[in-house]
Amino acid sequence: MNEKTEDFEGKINKKYKSKVLLKTNLGLLALFGSIFVFYLVFLFLESQLMLLWIILIITTVIIPYTIINIATNWYLNRYIDYFSYHFEKDKIVITHGVLTKIKATIPYSRIQNINIVNGVFDRMYDIYTVKVETAGSSAAAQAAQSGVARPEGYIPGLKNPEIVEKKINEMITEYAGIPSGLEDKVFKPEELAFDNFISYILSKMREGDLLKTSISELRNEKGITIAELAEKVGVPAQTIQFLEEGRYSPSLLLAYKIAEALSCKIEDLFEIS
Amino acid sequence: MKFKKKIKSGVKDIRNEKNLTQKELADLVGVSRQTIHYIEKGDYNPSLILAFKIADVLKTPVNSLFYRESIIKDEINSLSIGESKQITDKLSMDRDRFESLSEIREEDLLNKFSRKELQKIAKELEYSFDELFEAD
Repeated sequence: MNEKTEDFEGKINKKYKSKVLLKTNLGLLALFGSIFVFYLVFLFLESQLMLLWIILIITTVIIPYTIINIATNWYLNRYIDYFSYHFEKDKIVITHGVLTKIKATIPYSRIQNINIVNGVFDRMYDIYTVKVETAGSSAAAQAAQSGVARPEGYIPGLKNPEIVEKKINEMITEYAGIPSGLEDKVFKPEELAFDNFISYILSKMREGDLLKTSISELRNEKGITIAELAEKVGVPAQTIQFLEEGRYSPSLLLAYKIAEALSCKIEDLFEIS
Repeated sequence: MKFKKKIKSGVKDIRNEKNLTQKELADLVGVSRQTIHYIEKGDYNPSLILAFKIADVLKTPVNSLFYRESIIKDEINSLSIGESKQITDKLSMDRDRFESLSEIREEDLLNKFSRKELQKIAKELEYSFDELFEAD
């Protein structure tokens, strides 16, 4: 579901790099600039030791400054390359990290608020940061410890934060209402190999309350084939087959549709043992 | 032509009858309170096993806890007199005729109402035609 429409980014904007570089350089200039001025003062006082001062300036100011700059540049390139986010059915997935790769998933149902941040440096490059805050325990625990909560979803360097915000809100209203994992699943044919596997696992897990069904008896009584029933109900034939074998537990809606198609009551069709 | 149907939930009424809170029912059934909340609102399709468990806890048949109801009938039944008058005035249709839609049988639908009329009614109820009706 990697949706990439024109205005939907999915990645960090390259301007994010310029912004962080500018920020680091200002910091570095302040630090090394003061060291440099300090040396200059001594250079004037002790001008015989010219060569020593020059070596000192090169090793303690110019070289570290360049190295830090190159390292930051490399780090940012990788960071921007690796950073990606996309929206799935019930969660946002954010992948990031330069040395340690992190894949963060945030279920929509846990999102509490979305903040759009536009700092001083952000404004110079016209970019925004979207922070997605959750009711998550880790963030809350962190906040209690350090006083600063780092949001779980942190998407920097965005040109159009409204699109991300809108998208998240859309997904929240669309999906968060359904408790995750409980929604009914009618499998498409291409998912059936997986369905087979899952239904096996689920039936094993649900052994406590096994559903007994008499679909096949009632179906045979009416002289309807599996395929015909499946068509009437609007599911793949294999779903009916799995139901009859007791390998798949239907949703209430599907059960009602089958009962309607066989013109009988739900209680005649299914029984919990 | 057929009515499109949805599952209506009578869980809330029966739960209130039995003097149970959402939380108590949730604990008895073994799900979260939120799940009960969604089931009562009716916009969530529970698993059959869950439906059976609720029926078991409330000692009520599944049929009376959850029933399928045509969306259009449900909508018309939930209109207040004023609202239904507003719609019939707008469509210049007889009110009794309009309200007869909430009791009409599927077979009679096209005999008594034209497709065009149904489309207009759907529009007034803020639905699209396909959301209320489906072909046989």
